[in-house]
Amino acid sequence: MSSSPAPATSLQVCRECGGGAPVDVHFCPQCTKILTLGRHGDYFSFLGLPRKLNIPAADIEQRFRALSRQFHPDFFYNATPAERRASLERSSYLNDAYRTLKQPVARIEYLLQLENMAARSPQEASKQVPPALLEEVFELNEELDAIRDERASGAAADVWKPRLERARAPIEAKRQSHEAQLQELATTWDTLVDRGASAAERHDVLEKLRERILERNYISNLLAGIERELNSGGGPQEKDLTAL
Amino acid sequence: MSKVVGIDLGTTNSLVAYVKDGVPTVIRDNGGDALVPSIVSAAADGTMYVGREAQRRLLTEPERTVYSVKRFMGKGIEDVQDEARLFPFGVSGTPGGVVRIGLGDREFTPPEVSALILRELKHRAEQHFADMGEIDPEIERAVITVPAYFNDAQRTATRDAGRIAGLDVMRIINEPTAASLAYGLDKRHTGLIAVYDLGGGTFDISILRVEDGVFQVLATNGDTHLGGDDIDLLLMHRVLAEQGWSQPAERIQEIRKAVIQAKWDLSDGESTDLLGKPITRAEFEALIRPLVERTLGPCRQALADAELDPSQVDEVVLVGGSTRIPLVRRLVGELFGRTPHSELNPDEVVALGAAVQADILETGNREMLLLDVTPLSLGIETMGGVVSKIIMRNSTIPATGSETFTTGVDSQTAVDIHVLQGERELVEDNRSLARFKLRGIPPMPAGLPRVQVQFQIDASGILSVTARELRTNVEQTIQVTPSYGLTDDEVERMLLDSFEHAEADFAARLLIDARNEAENDVRATEKSLRAPEFEEIARAELGPGEHDRIVAALADVKRVINETDRELIQAKAHALQDATRHLAEVMMNRSVQAALSGRSVNEV
Repeated sequence: MSSSPAPATSLQVCRECGGGAPVDVHFCPQCTKILTLGRHGDYFSFLGLPRKLNIPAADIEQRFRALSRQFHPDFFYNATPAERRASLERSSYLNDAYRTLKQPVARIEYLLQLENMAARSPQEASKQVPPALLEEVFELNEELDAIRDERASGAAADVWKPRLERARAPIEAKRQSHEAQLQELATTWDTLVDRGASAAERHDVLEKLRERILERNYISNLLAGIERELNSGGGPQEKDLTAL
Repeated sequence: MSKVVGIDLGTTNSLVAYVKDGVPTVIRDNGGDALVPSIVSAAADGTMYVGREAQRRLLTEPERTVYSVKRFMGKGIEDVQDEARLFPFGVSGTPGGVVRIGLGDREFTPPEVSALILRELKHRAEQHFADMGEIDPEIERAVITVPAYFNDAQRTATRDAGRIAGLDVMRIINEPTAASLAYGLDKRHTGLIAVYDLGGGTFDISILRVEDGVFQVLATNGDTHLGGDDIDLLLMHRVLAEQGWSQPAERIQEIRKAVIQAKWDLSDGESTDLLGKPITRAEFEALIRPLVERTLGPCRQALADAELDPSQVDEVVLVGGSTRIPLVRRLVGELFGRTPHSELNPDEVVALGAAVQADILETGNREMLLLDVTPLSLGIETMGGVVSKIIMRNSTIPATGSETFTTGVDSQTAVDIHVLQGERELVEDNRSLARFKLRGIPPMPAGLPRVQVQFQIDASGILSVTARELRTNVEQTIQVTPSYGLTDDEVERMLLDSFEHAEADFAARLLIDARNEAENDVRATEKSLRAPEFEEIARAELGPGEHDRIVAALADVKRVINETDRELIQAKAHALQDATRHLAEVMMNRSVQAALSGRSVNEV
């Protein structure tokens, strides 16, 4: 993935006629053939969207359908091999873009990646306890240890399960407050984009978004861990949803 | 330009359809029968029979007859060992390789057996176009449907079957989605649709949003091992428990036929007779309820994946022969809180949709567009036998994903990659799709090469893999050997093989046509005799001795149907047609009157 912001001038070259095209168009302005997917551009520009975080769901859906209608492989079945390939690549990229941008959190993570602010690796991000969560995580781990001891000494499910549920409550509350903070930062980001704010101002907001996202992912992992603990009593360890 | 068709390659029955003057149409035989039983039988002289004739041979030569081959597509012997015991034909194979099925004196892979069925459908369609006076009746291209929950190996096996049959497979599409296309033609739907597809061997649920002519699948789920076959097995167990478990293969097939008839009867009536013993619908429902309830879990999961409550679904569409069972309709209706649709024939709707898709591909018509998803997550094995997911389930296809690998040892030039499909965390709990070696990595210190492997799922839901070393920009060649599939060379060889085995000659074909027509007459007559209103009709409308004459003519046809004298079969069949003409008229008049008085025929 190219991470440098793409200028909106001629960056694609038509393999059919050699003409140039802006990064956010899909068909050659000269010869009208579908363009081979280049290495420039990003999900936002591909969908014709500004690099902002509040996007109405209906808007994304409508753009997705309209673009699918333009270059889905169905409509290039009898075209030349080059056009078929371009249609397949462009449709795949569209579907990936749609899947990422339609989810608010994935959208923020993608923006951070574009702006070179992403966590170096997901593993690294989830292992380190974010400083803001140290207190909660410490308390939760103490409580989890106590519950495990209780279970090991044969406590009934109706004793330890409610205790586990109670241990989850503060983490759940933390998640909700994080969602609100993320929403607020997203709106701030959009106003910065609208008024063409300085790089320093943008960097400041991106840094905060990055912290909140890392914390949020950490919280999600904690909650998933509690969920597993809850389900491990009695029934099967994991529900098998695949039937191959 | 040659014609394109849509094919529903089913577990129990297969169909072929095409778009005629803008209207999707199923192609029928001379007797008006659209269904080709997915059964293949090999005669001692090497002749292959497909369809109704093979179905008859199931009763006389069960060891030389293969059915439900779809259950073996894309499978290894270790997947099917338990089940294989239930079939009269031989199933073998080496662990890690493709299943082999004994048919007559040879062994075939499941794609080869499926190819014989596809070739029969191709033949049927070509015959139809020739009869219509088409200058070029040949069929070279087709869209073939598969269960939405089929994995990559099963899809690839289906595509291989098409190639072996001499067809260019334009696209593999999912059965429930195909059905929604066929329904979409009748009305201009907008909204959320659930398609519940319970066929002979597989179950699918797909949730779609339809808007501006775009049919977008939001989520899909299912069970590729749950269908009418399993219901038949439950009933067979009931019979065998009473009659003894060890029965000759011929007897087993007789029981199977009786069981299927009883199942059909109980969809219309409250009770029927199963091999001399009465069985009520209530007993039947108690027996099959756990099976039907197994379909509800995937329904709930698909709804959850689509982030919907059952009540948000605007319409529920039923597909597949097993949705004729009243209990299925009731439980589906309860789950979604609305009466499911079943205006179109559940056996035919998938083939109709496949024909629509073939027409879209051929003509580039942009009125409708199908956007489907991949049913299962795709991942690769990482350290510790854990799967790292690269493309998540329910991603719209075509889709891509990539992962970057490096080396662990200095100057290492190859990396092993294991591709899996499924939702579980551990490698061993998922389906192995392929293992391959990435070669040609330039020698560098450990950890320095950056090999990017790109996974592409195409619009048919089939995976391909490319790789590139990012530092040197060297493209890698990847030889993907599918875990349970055929190599291109094998497919090529099978294609040639199939030419060497000539089809049944013309006379044999005429005989089969005569038998098929006679069998259609037998079925229609038996259905009339079993109809709830028959007794009343016999009393009030039939002449003296008419009932007896029908029964005698019916017995005549059944007696001669397996003879080789075509004219004798035709003569008896015509006699039966004559004997039942009056009865058919009476029944037709009654249903017309019922329709005019606003009641459905079933209520009369």
